[in-house]
Amino acid sequence: MRILHVGTDSFGGYGGIALYNRELIAAMASHPSVEEVVVVPRIIVGEIEALPDKVTFVSAASRGRLAYLNALRGARGRFDLVVCAHVNLLPIVRLITKHPLLMLYGIEAWKPLRDPLSNRLLRNVRGVISISEITSERFIGWSRYGGPSLLLPNSIRAEWYGIRPKNGHFLKRYRLDGKRVLMTLGRVIAAERYKGFDEVLDVLPELDDDISYLIAGGGNDVTRLRRKASDLGVTNRVVFTGLFPEDEKADLYNLADVYVMPSRGEGFGFVFLEALACGVPVIASRLDGGREAVRMGGLGRLVDPTSPAEIRMAILDTLASGGTKTIPEGLDFFSYTNFERRTHAIIDAFASNA
Amino acid sequence: MCGIAALFSYRPAAPAVERGEIEAITERMRPRGPDAGGTWISPDARVALGARRLAIIDLTDEGTQPMTDVDGELRIVFNGEIYNYRELRARLERLGARFHSTTDTEVLLQLYRHDGSAMVELLRGMFAFVIWDPRARRMFAARDPYGIKPLYIADDGQTFRAASTVKALLAGGRVGRELDPAGVAGFWLMGSVPEPHTIFRSIRAVEAGTSLFVDERGAGGVRQYYSIAATLKRGVRDVAAAHLVQPPVLLRELVTDSLRHHLIADVPVGAFLSSGIDSTALVSLAAEATGQPPRTVTLRFEEFRGRESDEAPLAERFAREIGSDHVTRVVTRDEFVADLPRLFDAMDQPTIDGTNTWFVSKAAAERGLKVSLSGLGGDELFGSYPSFRDLPRIVRAARFPLAAAAASRLTRNPKGGAMVRYGSTWAGAYLLKRGLFLPDDLPSLMGADAAAEGVERLAMLDHIAGTIDPDPGTPFGRVASLEASLYMRNQLLRDTDWASMAHSLEVRTPLVDATLLRQMAPLLMVEKQRCKRHFAESPRHPLPPWVSGRRKTGFSVPLAEWAQLRPDGTSTRMRSWARLVMEQWA
Repeated sequence: MRILHVGTDSFGGYGGIALYNRELIAAMASHPSVEEVVVVPRIIVGEIEALPDKVTFVSAASRGRLAYLNALRGARGRFDLVVCAHVNLLPIVRLITKHPLLMLYGIEAWKPLRDPLSNRLLRNVRGVISISEITSERFIGWSRYGGPSLLLPNSIRAEWYGIRPKNGHFLKRYRLDGKRVLMTLGRVIAAERYKGFDEVLDVLPELDDDISYLIAGGGNDVTRLRRKASDLGVTNRVVFTGLFPEDEKADLYNLADVYVMPSRGEGFGFVFLEALACGVPVIASRLDGGREAVRMGGLGRLVDPTSPAEIRMAILDTLASGGTKTIPEGLDFFSYTNFERRTHAIIDAFASNA
Repeated sequence: MCGIAALFSYRPAAPAVERGEIEAITERMRPRGPDAGGTWISPDARVALGARRLAIIDLTDEGTQPMTDVDGELRIVFNGEIYNYRELRARLERLGARFHSTTDTEVLLQLYRHDGSAMVELLRGMFAFVIWDPRARRMFAARDPYGIKPLYIADDGQTFRAASTVKALLAGGRVGRELDPAGVAGFWLMGSVPEPHTIFRSIRAVEAGTSLFVDERGAGGVRQYYSIAATLKRGVRDVAAAHLVQPPVLLRELVTDSLRHHLIADVPVGAFLSSGIDSTALVSLAAEATGQPPRTVTLRFEEFRGRESDEAPLAERFAREIGSDHVTRVVTRDEFVADLPRLFDAMDQPTIDGTNTWFVSKAAAERGLKVSLSGLGGDELFGSYPSFRDLPRIVRAARFPLAAAAASRLTRNPKGGAMVRYGSTWAGAYLLKRGLFLPDDLPSLMGADAAAEGVERLAMLDHIAGTIDPDPGTPFGRVASLEASLYMRNQLLRDTDWASMAHSLEVRTPLVDATLLRQMAPLLMVEKQRCKRHFAESPRHPLPPWVSGRRKTGFSVPLAEWAQLRPDGTSTRMRSWARLVMEQWA
């Protein structure tokens, strides 16, 4: 069996979608019946990680539009399954097949696509794989797509994280020694003002002075949030890390006493799995995919992001119940082993119809 | 849903509370709670609580009120429903709280113990309650954000009294019956008495979205914990959230979530059905949420037969298509005349509305329903009143006084002459648009002295302006806040309460929900009146065009014909009806 993966980024990529697709490609390649997975990436920004066996990575495709089209043309052949790993790529994937398997992650699929052609091409897809129930429902809600649809939530390699003592160097760097720390990690950009940074800042003045808020991530909205923190009189209690190296991430999570992200735009919320893998209790949103990352409250607390009272109460309750950090057993639901098993079931369901 | 009462002789010199008074107050509210009743008097006879119960959640005797907590310390009387009580209870149990029942009432007690007065911000529902805290020797009272459930108080400087209805407080025999010129003026101006005034000088309403304490110094510590205007203003800040999801899909999610909460009950929940978008979409979404459409009820009047205002044919057609167990209840003038004395008796304060809810509640109760959903609030939420179009126009037009004066002369509008005087502010424009009479009419209606006092104490324009402070920031937001804080609160919700409770029916309003408004505010600020169309498209099977395309008619009854009202310059003859209503309080 041969699979073609047409995506934006995966190996050599940065961010959640790239990570998800690296795992997806590895899991597809490990299927016993799969002989080859050909990967055509649109973007490569960093060093390409070690490729799994049976993966052919067409890195030349990332050199530009023409190169991408050429790579796709070169990839023509007999494929048992073509994965369109981003809805925006549907028109290009149409050059290869009428019936790709479409991957959906989050907000890109929550409302009609800008390109009318893509909206039409949706009708012919072989199936839809969604990272979360909410993304699936919102997609079906506007598209009236009636074909098969399956879920494939993120996986977490818990062994890459783990519970660690608070890093003394980081405590000093961020002036968090002796503080109880709330944390949110994500891109801090104006176009994504639905991450929940504002909502946590709003309740910070009502919380005890020894509670600080660590915003891990950089972007063009930091200045506004700094100004807001100043207006609220909590400048000294808000820490912005800016962009940070990937290898600092686990230590950053381990600084937190509570990971809180009352967001409205998360397709899933991989960061919750990362925080849980560090033993940090989490507070997620009831109104987006965060609720599925914490298994509807089974792995963490759910709040309505529009309710400051609920957010405040959840933070206080979680801090009050905080003792020894533990990694919840239920996190295993998102283990790579389970992700791989689900991926194989998807291949069995869709590739057999090729 | 219940009727509640509380007495607190807070001054040492105050006479002890009397069993006869609390029982008389409670008994007056029997229709609000026919299933059970009870009173409690503290051992020192300084505090009394009373309640009538309409059992809807936990039908066992464990739900009887007044209720005490598991330690036998805190006591509560509670009217309403807490729709998120299961989530709150789970949290409280994690924190170590213990319970002796499965009621939402007991959750309130434990929530008070854990979170104090901040508890009200965590509640999703309609409620008015009084908690007696003997350790602190104080009462805590609160009312829901929109004011769906009523709570009235009378404080003579020594004893604090509270009850679900004005007439119940009077029934206790210790509260004065002198009419309040401010309340009377408010009625003539708006067609209902604007809270916190009531029609009686000795009685005030606990305002929607507020809580208060009563201790040995009397009532104080009033805290406003919710503001519709502030919620809408925040929606402007958070508009980014409105662009994430296709509007009908987001509306389906949010309204369905509200519906799921509003469907929590241990008895069947029915629905009022008209041929309008709000009730049909609600019934569709309720059917999707539960897998079965609720039992539905529609009114029909012979006087409307063949006219656009006859909702029955389309409602029946919709009910057939969705498969609901439906009843069309025909109401005649004879029935209206026969019911009128009871209707006036149940009418807690003068109002020009409520007759429609009286009959549809009666019809639902006849079907054996204890709970019914209503689409009330959809017009305020989705901006479908003409005021959403007209108020901005009035304010704009009033900037050009000469043109406005000419226009008003040309349109022969009886209130047209006041356009220049009132139209330049949002508050004035609202008074002009919604007003039954104008301030200049008051002396002839209630006498010059009473009118002068009433107008001064009522400060109607300031009161109206207060409902858009903080400024929601957009014309749509301002009108939405005005309509929800004034017309809906003082008229629609209050009338729904007395008219449904008279038939021992609890009406639930999934579109009047503070959580829903918070979550929808960004979408409202972006989509404005288009939200109504989105709502029609929100069910998995969007509403058919013969519903979504139908012209709005409103939920009215043929009062002019039934009560043989004289022409009064208005199309509905509501001014004549108001005079008839006010005679009951003369």
